[in-house]
Amino acid sequence: MEQETQAQTQTSASPAPAPTPSSATAPDPAQPLSRGILSRSRLRSIYKAAISILLALVVTSVLFIITGANPLVAYYYMFYGAFGNTNFLIETLVRMSPILLVSLGLGIAFKCKVWNIGAEGQLYIGAFLGAETAIFFGNSPLALPASIVLAILGGMGWAAIPALMKTQLGINEVITTFLMNFVAIDLVTWFVSYPFRSTTADFPQSATIPASAMLPILIPHTRFHLGIAIALLAALPLVYFLMAKTTFGYKLRVVGENPEAAKYGGINVKKTIFLALIISGALAGLAGLFEVEGIQFSVMTSLSPGYGYTGIAVALLGGNNPIGILLSSFFLAGIYNGSVNVSIQLGQPSGIVSFIQGVLIIFVLGSEYIMRFLERKGVFKR
Amino acid sequence: MTGLTIAIAFAASCVTFACPLLLASLGETIVERGGILNLGIEGAMLIGAFSGFLGAYFTGILWVGLLTAMIGGIASVLLFGVLVVRFNLDQVVSGLAINLLASGVALYFLRVAFPGGGYPHLNFLFQPFAVPLLSQIPVVGPIVFNQPGFFYLAIVLVPIVFYLIYRTTFGLRLRSVGEDPRIASYVGINVSRIRYTSLVLEGALVGLAGAFVTLSQFNTFDTRLTTGLGFIAVSIVILGRWNPAGALIASLIFGSTEALSFWGTAFLTGPQASSLAQLLTILPYVTTLVALVVGGRMSKGPSALGAPYAKE
Repeated sequence: MEQETQAQTQTSASPAPAPTPSSATAPDPAQPLSRGILSRSRLRSIYKAAISILLALVVTSVLFIITGANPLVAYYYMFYGAFGNTNFLIETLVRMSPILLVSLGLGIAFKCKVWNIGAEGQLYIGAFLGAETAIFFGNSPLALPASIVLAILGGMGWAAIPALMKTQLGINEVITTFLMNFVAIDLVTWFVSYPFRSTTADFPQSATIPASAMLPILIPHTRFHLGIAIALLAALPLVYFLMAKTTFGYKLRVVGENPEAAKYGGINVKKTIFLALIISGALAGLAGLFEVEGIQFSVMTSLSPGYGYTGIAVALLGGNNPIGILLSSFFLAGIYNGSVNVSIQLGQPSGIVSFIQGVLIIFVLGSEYIMRFLERKGVFKR
Repeated sequence: MTGLTIAIAFAASCVTFACPLLLASLGETIVERGGILNLGIEGAMLIGAFSGFLGAYFTGILWVGLLTAMIGGIASVLLFGVLVVRFNLDQVVSGLAINLLASGVALYFLRVAFPGGGYPHLNFLFQPFAVPLLSQIPVVGPIVFNQPGFFYLAIVLVPIVFYLIYRTTFGLRLRSVGEDPRIASYVGINVSRIRYTSLVLEGALVGLAGAFVTLSQFNTFDTRLTTGLGFIAVSIVILGRWNPAGALIASLIFGSTEALSFWGTAFLTGPQASSLAQLLTILPYVTTLVALVVGGRMSKGPSALGAPYAKE
């Protein structure tokens, strides 16, 4: 673990040289060794993210124009609904928590170019297993910790299936993780509709979790629960540490940038890919559990509005970097809550959230082109 | 209904469910032969189904719906094409972006087009067409020769796509681009043009697949109607070994699992019936996953599939 400090230097997309255990990655000559918080390369990635967001909002304003709404007014309502007052701001943090957990995990997977798009299913399985564990333990102090362990194991186990299919059989994980979302959601729907259905509720849902497993509210009269604090103060620093300070984080980067070189350098590529996938599954499972134990208190079929897919946009926008992911999950949580307000105020149909996410991903992918174009035109210094 | 009648009706339903999968997987086979992995097919099919429904609903003419579905499919696939061919962006992520974008567009414009809420219905559909004489054959007739026109089209397209890939100059160029675009480019093949052509063909086929769902199979539009079909079609291409004939067989298998999960309630009896019927909804996805484990490992696709290629 000690020889890897050099690897903190942000590497660009250029193929990494074959690493040896002692030398880590050679710094990219194009990027100076500045380590300040706002080094040039970091500043540049912030510009890229900002440009992507701006362009995505501009393109999305076409939707508003088509329905005869003024985009500026719409975005005002969106901003207000997301960050306009303390209550809205706290609600945005509540919304951010599951997105942050999911996308921290996806950041790890994407860093080594493993496209886990099955976070939605991993979230459902983790939430269901965790919640049923809590119900099983009843009002015992063990309920909460045991449910957390089982939610993590559930998400991990669900991700382990496509992980094994990828590493052992070479089957594209994009297809398998995605198909497993349907299996997971349909299975959980079936569980809470039949074998584990609540005997009192009108709609299919699980029994209510015991009070001992409900996450305490940290800010009175709001929904700001312990899970949000765990996401921000435990999961985020842990993932940061894992990615920036450990051998595993270094291996993730090398495997992502150049699997061939990684193999020559003695890195177990399959093991790295496997671990990256199951860690992302674990965090998705935890995200699902905290939604149940902090907000909903029983497993419903409408557990997640697509946080597993939002996580993809967030991880990409955040450059698979924990700090970037924190900022972009806050932003997308704002889009979620703000869009609700836009719908209420202007009678806008739903669909804005998916639309913005799709456009955002396209611009994030293309931001390198756009940035180079702007640099050629002299808008930004090269 | 006697057992045989039910069996025949079920078998016919298997064939019907295979139809959109076959159309879409034929399209995906073409583009993957050219080295492009289009996961945005899921979104393109949704847009095809949606634009087809809108076209038919507002003009009252089914054929217009067919046309708008193809236009919608081509537009979605071409947007993807511009991202991955012109800008050489990551194919997997671009495909996912198209899917998100498509579901946003469909959700949004469904309510723009029908502000009242609820689900609009078409009161006319592409009905099954009984082929004269052939549909009179016992058992086989009602299963295979009493299907919507889409099905006959899809079946005819299997040898046509096969011919296109293996027996034409375009097919030869397409395959060489899929194996190694750099070398193909050295010998004078216009890689971008070949890939755009294949994408337009895919867009039309995927649009048709979407149109089948809203203009023949169901008479309404819901964003959930096509959910998962695109990804199953991508799996079919793998299991069919990038060969149209293989795609036909795989489509029939997956069509059957979908029909089974759809027909679950009719087959099952007893106190657990509704429970089991609901559980059957996972069948198509589980079958796909199992089939990928069993059959996916030996199959090797075009060498340059999914790889970035920047023109020098």
